[in-house]
Amino acid sequence: MKSYSQISGEIGEFSNLPFWKKADTVDLVYVSYGLLIVSLVILSYVLGMFNLMPHDPQALNLDLMMASPGTSGHLLGTDFLGRDMLSRLILGIQAYFLPGLLAIAISLSFGTVLGVLAGYRGGRFDTGITYFTNLVDSFPRLVLILLVIAAFKPDIYYIMIVVGLTNVPVVASLIKGKIHFLRQKNFIEAAVSLGLPTRTIILKHILWHNCRSLFIIQATLGMGEAILIETSLSYLGFGVQEPMPSWGNMVQSGANYFMQGKFWPSTAPALAILFTILGFHLLGDGLNNMLEGKRGR
Amino acid sequence: MAKTILEVVDLKKHFTARKTLLSAFKEQERSIPAVDGVSFYLKENETVGLVGESGCGKTTIGRTILRLEKPTAGKILFDGKDVTAMPSEELRKLRSEMQMIFQDLDAALNPKMRIRDILREAIKVHHDITDEEIDGRIGELLEQVNLKRSKLSNFPHELSGGEKRRVGIARVLSVGARFIIADEPTSALDVSIQAQVVNLLRDLQKHLGLSYLFISHDLRVVELISHKVAVMYLGKVVEMGLAGRIATAPRHPYTHILWSSLVGKQSKEASSAVRNVQSGIWGVFDFERAYAGCRFAPRCPVYESKEYPRVCTDPASEPQLRDVGDGHQVACHFPL
Amino acid sequence: MDAPLLKIENLRTYFYSQSKQAFIRSVDGVNLEIARGETLGVVGESGSGKSITALSTMGLISAGPGVISGTIAFQTNGVQKNLLQGLENYVKLTEQDGKVMHVSKNVVGWEKHSDRIMHKIRGKEIAMIFQNPKASMNPFTTVGKQITEAIRLHTKTKDPLEAEDRAAYWLKQVKIDSPRLRLTNYPYGLSGGMCQRAMIAMALACEPSLLIADEPTTGLDATIQSKIVDLLVELKGELGTTTMLISHDISVISRLSDSVAVMYGGTVVECGPARDILATAFESKHPYTTALLTSIPSEQNIKEKGYLQAIEGDVLDTINIPLGCRFYSRCNRVTDAIRKKCESHEPDLREISPGHRVRCWLYFE
Repeated sequence: MKSYSQISGEIGEFSNLPFWKKADTVDLVYVSYGLLIVSLVILSYVLGMFNLMPHDPQALNLDLMMASPGTSGHLLGTDFLGRDMLSRLILGIQAYFLPGLLAIAISLSFGTVLGVLAGYRGGRFDTGITYFTNLVDSFPRLVLILLVIAAFKPDIYYIMIVVGLTNVPVVASLIKGKIHFLRQKNFIEAAVSLGLPTRTIILKHILWHNCRSLFIIQATLGMGEAILIETSLSYLGFGVQEPMPSWGNMVQSGANYFMQGKFWPSTAPALAILFTILGFHLLGDGLNNMLEGKRGR
Repeated sequence: MAKTILEVVDLKKHFTARKTLLSAFKEQERSIPAVDGVSFYLKENETVGLVGESGCGKTTIGRTILRLEKPTAGKILFDGKDVTAMPSEELRKLRSEMQMIFQDLDAALNPKMRIRDILREAIKVHHDITDEEIDGRIGELLEQVNLKRSKLSNFPHELSGGEKRRVGIARVLSVGARFIIADEPTSALDVSIQAQVVNLLRDLQKHLGLSYLFISHDLRVVELISHKVAVMYLGKVVEMGLAGRIATAPRHPYTHILWSSLVGKQSKEASSAVRNVQSGIWGVFDFERAYAGCRFAPRCPVYESKEYPRVCTDPASEPQLRDVGDGHQVACHFPL
Repeated sequence: MDAPLLKIENLRTYFYSQSKQAFIRSVDGVNLEIARGETLGVVGESGSGKSITALSTMGLISAGPGVISGTIAFQTNGVQKNLLQGLENYVKLTEQDGKVMHVSKNVVGWEKHSDRIMHKIRGKEIAMIFQNPKASMNPFTTVGKQITEAIRLHTKTKDPLEAEDRAAYWLKQVKIDSPRLRLTNYPYGLSGGMCQRAMIAMALACEPSLLIADEPTTGLDATIQSKIVDLLVELKGELGTTTMLISHDISVISRLSDSVAVMYGGTVVECGPARDILATAFESKHPYTTALLTSIPSEQNIKEKGYLQAIEGDVLDTINIPLGCRFYSRCNRVTDAIRKKCESHEPDLREISPGHRVRCWLYFE
């Protein structure tokens, strides 16, 4: 039976319009919000890298402790040592941006290799990799991170390597699924029987043409996750250490003054975390719906 | 006398159920004989039709010849060279002469590539030629498959089913194939488009001297396009011969049932034995069921009408293909 | 003469495609009539709208932006009922420059209303057999339970044991061996052919006044196909159920139908008695029907190893329907005298001999 949903699905795929024109309005809102956040993050990262901040984020100003937002020169106020909140927020991005990219790079590269091996070679590789990924998945991630911290030192790069490695199974299974789907449609067989070299089939036809949107989506989602892990560990004191600012340790140090009515030192970084992670996730979600069309109708 | 281009000798392909940790402890693996000792040959400029019900192993044969599946046993000789034992680099070269048209229209078409790039890539695989030469070759191919030049800049999803099929055929021709395995090339198409494709395939054979292994369940089309027909049942060829003879004077009861089942076609030369007993044909058709001797016996009207002769179900005497004159072969103890 | 059991008039089922900002006109002005006890065969290629016509009749066009207009008049207990009554109130179209920009549909209201009209009819008065029997049966309950449930729901038999007897009776009617045993089988335990027969049994068990069979043989093996057709022929002789048989396979249609409707591009291009339309010798018919009949290999064709008469061009795009005749661009019988008309005016379905109607300018002079 040809149900209506199938018909409309076909038509959607056959459309000639660029993908942003045929997308749902909701997804467009998601993606534009996400892009806004991402560009803000990148801009702030560059600013922080070249020290282009309204104030020196480390400079103490004991005359102006706990100044409320809007105080002259301090848009978001100052913290308990009189340091400028906005500058510290901007500098806080340094704490997760590069490490987050590292985590993404690790999960995507290892995940792709394993996924291609499992999906393309199949058989024993598939069985082995499935067992391996199940094993990785069954470790509680936080415990693993704490183990690494205990064994080495509380360095954010070590933590992000763990985050990247624990994300490998997700990427691997997605790539494997994609390859299985292509195989089912005899797409890979057709390429093989044409005589194309295996390298071309995997790199060009599978990864470049059919998996690139998947990479973008996984990268945005991975970044959101990296931020979450970094900030929560810094909050607990395992991540970035004072006096280097991280949104996590800013929330933590500001929290002591929350009950005294001085809400901004903790609320500002907390909101920054919320909006940023939301941005990355919505971007990933919106792109997923637009590029892969997975919205369940 | 035309040259033999492909010879398949006693080809076997058994699928084993997927191995898990547990199955290592079991004594026996479950194995499904999808192709169980098939032999046939194909001459240049000739079409052999392969018919049978779904699941009888006809597609597996095609895939095994192309080495998309590794055969369990047997030989596949293409131009006298054994494909089964070929190293992969040599096999890759051989694939320029041996191609497959897949049932799925989209199989050959990368959705993110324009038609021009798809064809260009295919030409480049086996031919080291300049861009102008490639353009010339593409023009030639388009003419051969009767496709408009304007379609070259389209993406696959902008084409209709018939056009996709034409591009698929053009891609197969672009590498210079002489032997083409056509796996249900028309079944995904509408009736009116099917006829176009059948005509095209015959035209190409006439002009380019191609050989086809034509796999289909559409008996009328097979009868029309093939010179010889092989009928498969449960992984074995039960009857083989000239197309006209298979269709009008079948000797194996299964072939007879198959052709007389063409809805609307009156079976003219039905022997009385078959016409009277046609009840058992609802039977289940699968590899799981145990059989001994002749695989078709459980569904066979002749077996029933002859009151269940022992020889049909004797494990020691599975009927083998034997000649009944004029190159017509049949595997049955009691041919019609 | 009696009023026909089912009379479809000017049925239009459109689907709005957001991405193309246009309507996909799957069914575009279909007129059909089925008299009591008759079997109507509907032939056409994919995209001709034959399945959507059936789904519209069953009230199964509900999800998404599907829009139906026209009337489907159905006789139930001597009263004529329009199955599409009032449905248009739930759809609002926003137009701009003569183009539909947006379709807003109160899906919940539409479904509720549709259910209110259909709940006494669907399954009870009109039953349907689908193309893919395995997908249309619930894999988690036994065949027996499913048939028994249908019987208790739709017929006067309410007692569970009695209903089971009826179920076994109907399985026997469709030639399933040891029906009692099969009642306890799950759908996946049955072969394709057996499953399709169980579906037929389930549809017939409710003693519907109209049976819609949508591609009942497609996807089955050749030997099983012919058996299913034999069974349907036999059941037709025994029960005389009014049937709407939808298929792309002309040989199936010709075995079973009393009258035939040929569909192309969302509309009926020809309808009339089966023996006329499907006979190769019969001259005055729509060029599409002629082409369709000759594009399958005939015995003559096979004997001579000749070429098939293919219809050039492609299946109609149901978004951009041409102004004139839908078949014009592929037609090989356009003469200079009528070319202008074919190009710019769509012919209507006119009676050219008793009971035989054609939508072609060739016959309207």
